[in-house]
Amino acid sequence: QFLTELTRLFQKCRTSGSVFITLKKYDGRTKPVPRKGHAESFEPADNKCLLRATDGKKKISTVVSSKEVNKFQMAYSNLLRANMDGLKKKDKKSKNKKSKATQ
Amino acid sequence: FQVRVVLKYRHCDGNLCIKVTDDVACLLYRTDQAQDVKKIEKFHSQLMRLMVAKESRSATMETD
Repeated sequence: QFLTELTRLFQKCRTSGSVFITLKKYDGRTKPVPRKGHAESFEPADNKCLLRATDGKKKISTVVSSKEVNKFQMAYSNLLRANMDGLKKKDKKSKNKKSKATQ
Repeated sequence: FQVRVVLKYRHCDGNLCIKVTDDVACLLYRTDQAQDVKKIEKFHSQLMRLMVAKESRSATMETD
């Protein structure tokens, strides 16, 4: 779900601007810790992370757990690599003008 | 306590920026080379893996 949105996000800003992606460790807390020393009634989970993406206008986010991380990462790295191709290429011997990187 | 990773890609400028901070130290890496995209993407995956790993001990290796 998130990956589709992310793909669309990258596609949308291909010609326009920046894409910000943030990765944060997530501890499962949904409400702020109350001030009055009320003990937390649940165990904060330590194996999830929060992933956000925005193009400056639209924001999407998702929580990734260790079960999803493998699947997510594969798709996610492909996405990163496929979309961040506007950078300069530096190769000494460039045989052909249009070279597609194969992986 | 808080570790945060921010990746900023600017197609119009043609560069990529990654920042990692743990509120103690802040590392910033900026590149405009296509060959770095793969490295950054691998690095980013590593960070993601560390964050979902249950053990609190993290063995990270490569610094570039």
